Amino acid sequence: MAHITINQYLQQVCEAIDNHEGSFCAELLSFKHPHVANPRLQLASPEEKCQQVLEVPYDEMVAAHLRCTYAVSNHDFVEAYKCQTLVVQSFLRAFQSHKEENWALPVMFAVTLDLRIFANNAEQQLLRKGKGKLGDMLEKAAEQLMGCFRVCASDNRAGIDDSKKWGMLFLINQLFKIYFKINKLHLCKPLIRAIDSSNLKDDYSMAQRVTYKYYVGRKAMFDSDYKPAEEYLSFSFQHCHRSSQRNKRMILIYLLPVKMLLGHMPNHQLLRKYDLMQFADVTKAVSEGNLLLLNEALAKHETFFIRCGIFLILEKLKIITYRNLFKKVYQLLKTHQLPLDAFLVALKMMQVEEVDIYEVQCILANLICEGHIKGYISHQHQKLVVSKAHPFPLLSSSS
Amino acid sequence: MAANTTQTAPAANWSYGAPEAQTVSENPEWEKARQALASISKTQSATKTAQANRTTAQAGQFQPAVTESTAIQQQQQQQYYQQWYQQNQQQPYPGYTYPYNYYYPMAPGPYGGGGYPPQGQYGVPPGPYPSPTTPTGQPPSLPMMDDKSSSYPPQPQPPPPAAPQPPPQSPTSSEHPPPPPPPAVPPPPNSQYPLPPGQNSYNPNNPMPYPNNDPNQMRGYNHNQGRPSYGQSYQTQNSYQQQQNNNQHQQPGPGQYGPGAGRGEANKNKNHQQQQQQPQQQGGQGQQLWHRMKQAPGAGAMKFNIPKRPYVMTNQSFPPGEQPTGLAATPSSPAAAPAAPGGAQTRPQDWPQAMKEYVQRCFTACENEEDKDRTEKGLKEVLQKRLQDGSAYTIDWDREPLPELKAKQSRWEAVSTQRTLESSVGRGGGTGGATRGRGGGARLGHYRNVFSQRSPSSSSSGSSSRSPSPSHSRHRDRNGQRHRRSDSESQSDSSMSSDLRTQLPRRNQKGGRGRGGDRDRGRGGGERGRGRGGRGNRGRRNMDDANSTVLGKKRKGGNAGLDFHDPHREAKKQSRAARFHNTKMRSEPLVLSINNLELPKEDLSWDDCPIVGTCQEITKIYLRLTCAPDPATVRPVSVLRKSLLAVKAHWKTRQDYPYACEQMKSIRQDLTVQGVRTEFTVEVYECHARIALEKGDHAEFNQCQMQLKALYKDNPSENIGEFTAYRLLYYIFTKNSGDITTELVYLTPALRADECVSHALSLRAAWALGNFHRFFQLYRRAPRMASYLIDKFVERERMIALRALFKTFRPDLPVEYVQSSLGFLCLDSCMAFLTGLGVTFFPSDPSKIDCKTSSACLAAS
Repeated sequence: MAHITINQYLQQVCEAIDNHEGSFCAELLSFKHPHVANPRLQLASPEEKCQQVLEVPYDEMVAAHLRCTYAVSNHDFVEAYKCQTLVVQSFLRAFQSHKEENWALPVMFAVTLDLRIFANNAEQQLLRKGKGKLGDMLEKAAEQLMGCFRVCASDNRAGIDDSKKWGMLFLINQLFKIYFKINKLHLCKPLIRAIDSSNLKDDYSMAQRVTYKYYVGRKAMFDSDYKPAEEYLSFSFQHCHRSSQRNKRMILIYLLPVKMLLGHMPNHQLLRKYDLMQFADVTKAVSEGNLLLLNEALAKHETFFIRCGIFLILEKLKIITYRNLFKKVYQLLKTHQLPLDAFLVALKMMQVEEVDIYEVQCILANLICEGHIKGYISHQHQKLVVSKAHPFPLLSSSS
Repeated sequence: MAANTTQTAPAANWSYGAPEAQTVSENPEWEKARQALASISKTQSATKTAQANRTTAQAGQFQPAVTESTAIQQQQQQQYYQQWYQQNQQQPYPGYTYPYNYYYPMAPGPYGGGGYPPQGQYGVPPGPYPSPTTPTGQPPSLPMMDDKSSSYPPQPQPPPPAAPQPPPQSPTSSEHPPPPPPPAVPPPPNSQYPLPPGQNSYNPNNPMPYPNNDPNQMRGYNHNQGRPSYGQSYQTQNSYQQQQNNNQHQQPGPGQYGPGAGRGEANKNKNHQQQQQQPQQQGGQGQQLWHRMKQAPGAGAMKFNIPKRPYVMTNQSFPPGEQPTGLAATPSSPAAAPAAPGGAQTRPQDWPQAMKEYVQRCFTACENEEDKDRTEKGLKEVLQKRLQDGSAYTIDWDREPLPELKAKQSRWEAVSTQRTLESSVGRGGGTGGATRGRGGGARLGHYRNVFSQRSPSSSSSGSSSRSPSPSHSRHRDRNGQRHRRSDSESQSDSSMSSDLRTQLPRRNQKGGRGRGGDRDRGRGGGERGRGRGGRGNRGRRNMDDANSTVLGKKRKGGNAGLDFHDPHREAKKQSRAARFHNTKMRSEPLVLSINNLELPKEDLSWDDCPIVGTCQEITKIYLRLTCAPDPATVRPVSVLRKSLLAVKAHWKTRQDYPYACEQMKSIRQDLTVQGVRTEFTVEVYECHARIALEKGDHAEFNQCQMQLKALYKDNPSENIGEFTAYRLLYYIFTKNSGDITTELVYLTPALRADECVSHALSLRAAWALGNFHRFFQLYRRAPRMASYLIDKFVERERMIALRALFKTFRPDLPVEYVQSSLGFLCLDSCMAFLTGLGVTFFPSDPSKIDCKTSSACLAAS
């Protein structure tokens, strides 16, 4: 298979199309398939041969694909991206003409996936040359994907067996990946709405649903909707295939901060299992209310956290840490009227810079405002008056 | 002769009926001429020279094929050629009338190789033999041939049995074997296909067209030429062809001929019919014919063989091809006209090959019978003149414009198709590959037709049916050699020719099996019906995807044509072709418009065409560019520096933002147009960004920020930190945590240490944690113009902070505390802010806020 001739290849494609063998056809057009490494297929100008064998939209699609393999073999990802764009465009023409059938969905998955990957690679290649602008290529790729998405979403026929809507979630996931990469999360909203209103949302393949929940959960996390975020990410983590350890780790990277913000601390074994020991100190610091340790931990792994995009989330753990720290003060003082100076001492012990009584009041005000502490501050007496019952309610119950 | 005539007449009658009558009438003349030619040819053919001439002639016409066929004696032939040409030319003329005869004789030489030699021999002797047997016998055989040819494989196949007989007969019957064979063979082809091609073509042409078309014609031909000598073995075939040709020419011939190919096919069809009808008649001759026929069946195979033989065959084929076309055409029109004159002056054999080719070309150009008729008339006149004044031997026929029809595109098309066919055919029957080159389309086209018919004829003629070498290549070589030999030695040639013929047909048969079968199937009934129409042939040609494609490929490949194609392949091809037809294949060449997908390269466009401005004006009104910039209105950098200073000064003194903004935009434009990306550019953008920031012009500020971000990559500025901080602050304003994170990724430690950046980072941290106390402290200490940015969201943060304060503090909160916490510079501004929100104060102490009520108030708002 890997060393078939161009004619054999074209014949296979032709038969796959004729027989509506979507999966096989998808393989023949996918860069996950070994044929792309076949030098006999890496042609600079395969147009003529393709034209001789294949029908109109397909000849261009396959020709572009073959030229794409040629470009990839030359490590020219910009050219590869252009070719792949043609592949998607010509596929879309064929796809649109498919009435009452969706056998080509696997092909769409293959070509759109490669399009996104090549857009990414092309952008990196351009940026290394100092050309282009971050996100341009991916945005253009997203436009192509949206074209496919519209075709799928507009299939409003009653029958769902051969509905193109089965392709929506895959495309949405690809779009999510792009939007997250270029920080255009607001563009995700209509996509989420489309799935929420879909009667198929629970019937897509688990792999796609896991991916979808992962991104929706991340988006909720960035929107500070921690409860839904925990729900989505937990679903994703629990249903992610056990062999996809890397994916599970990625899910955990976002699920852990959310869980911690909600008061659920991960145990050491979990962190070790997924090689996420960067969270170990953070977890320890938060649970102990050790602000100093938390700052150190965050500073120590700042690069990692920033690259994961969770630094700002972890930063909010400081609030939880304040709460835990102040709870200790409360437990030490064993009174419901806590002098603010006591908190100032605690904060200074944690080596918080330039801290003063105003800042203590400010921190307390936030904790009270967010429900982490039940009580009030008497400005006149400079005391924190806490509730006699559950002055520090459980994090998971606070809103 | 009588027998011949009789034969022809009946045949004509048989097949064509009314048209046949004409054909018959014409045929007699043709036959006479042919006979005369045949006799001449015989005499000549008897001699090697005749063959050589023929071969040469063929070679000349079909240089490749002939040469190849004659290859052995090529040199001799070449020498002969000139002589031959002359002779041929002379002969040809008569040949026209009876070109076939001549050709046949000629052909025998070449064809002889082709396997008709016996005919040639017979042709001569046929006179005796043929007259009786040949006519009838021929017709039957022809029919067989025709059947085969028409039906292609099927019909041809039946003949084969006959063919076996013929071979013995042909040679034997010829009795004159030595001379006759070559001549006989050639003659028939010639007769059929006026010129030497006839030999080669005979098989193809004769079998195909003649047999199919008009048994009468066939007979007629036979009568004319073959009848005498050919009549028997070769004549049958040859005669058939000839007859057909004649018939066609004479009668509907033109109509049938209409299209060159069409004619051929038509002839074939007619021949087939005739053959079918006549098969019984052929009897003795028929046997010979049958032998030939057998070969003919081979003819079906011939097709296949043809491809293999390409070169040699081509030579032969070409002649035949020429003959077919030419024959059909020439015989009918030119033949008639020239026949008389030609007969008087020169014999078809004597005709120059070039002229024969020319005639063929003329007829191949004909699309319908009318055209053929016209062509015939025109050719008669022209050829007579030429032959009479001798210019026929001197002029360049290749460049001679076609008579009436002249350069009609249709002709060419037909020719091309014919060529393909002919080439294939020619290969099968053709002796020499040399003709290919010259052969051109017309020859080829005829060839096919001829072949189908010829092959049968050839088979019959080849009665001797020597087992053709299994390998095509060998056949080719052998053929070529044999032909050559035959050329050198008439007798031996005849035998050789017969061998060649047999071989060829067999080859053809082989080919025919695969291809022929397909053709027959496809064409089968349709062709026959069409055959008469004349166009049918073309249609067939076109119709036969397998043939055309195969042929075309083979042609290209040269020998490739000979290659066998297994039925499966063809079936696949056909299915594929069908798919193409059914499906929408791209009609125009596919062009991947990859280059159209231009990536956004804003900068490059200006870098590609740098402009240096010449305008010296310090100030300039900003106008959005709608076309290529004019250097006369663009200021160079030196002037722009002055402009920037002027704008700054104007701004400091007047604070006229609209003016400043316009001037800055025009400066930026001039810089962009000239592709200037230097420190000065950075300065301009920084300046404009600050001015815009001060005046709260978000749009311009963001534009400048974007440009600065790109510019800083190449032009490090001491203000990088400042504008990075602005960017961070702006992200706080937009609450875009994603962009903030991205920005954090690219913050270097050096940048973090920058005053502005560290301040911005601290502010961000305070803001993220809701630490408004620290936030407003930082707000007050904002470096440079950061406070302008913070101003954008300070109100928002104050509201949040205030809500928290009111919710936290009980029962009251002093205004001073709020003022200090929320960063108000003075109490009044704080009071105004609080009052604006509807905050409730304690009546007893206006300096204290009633937090509980105010909290509810804020929540409500």
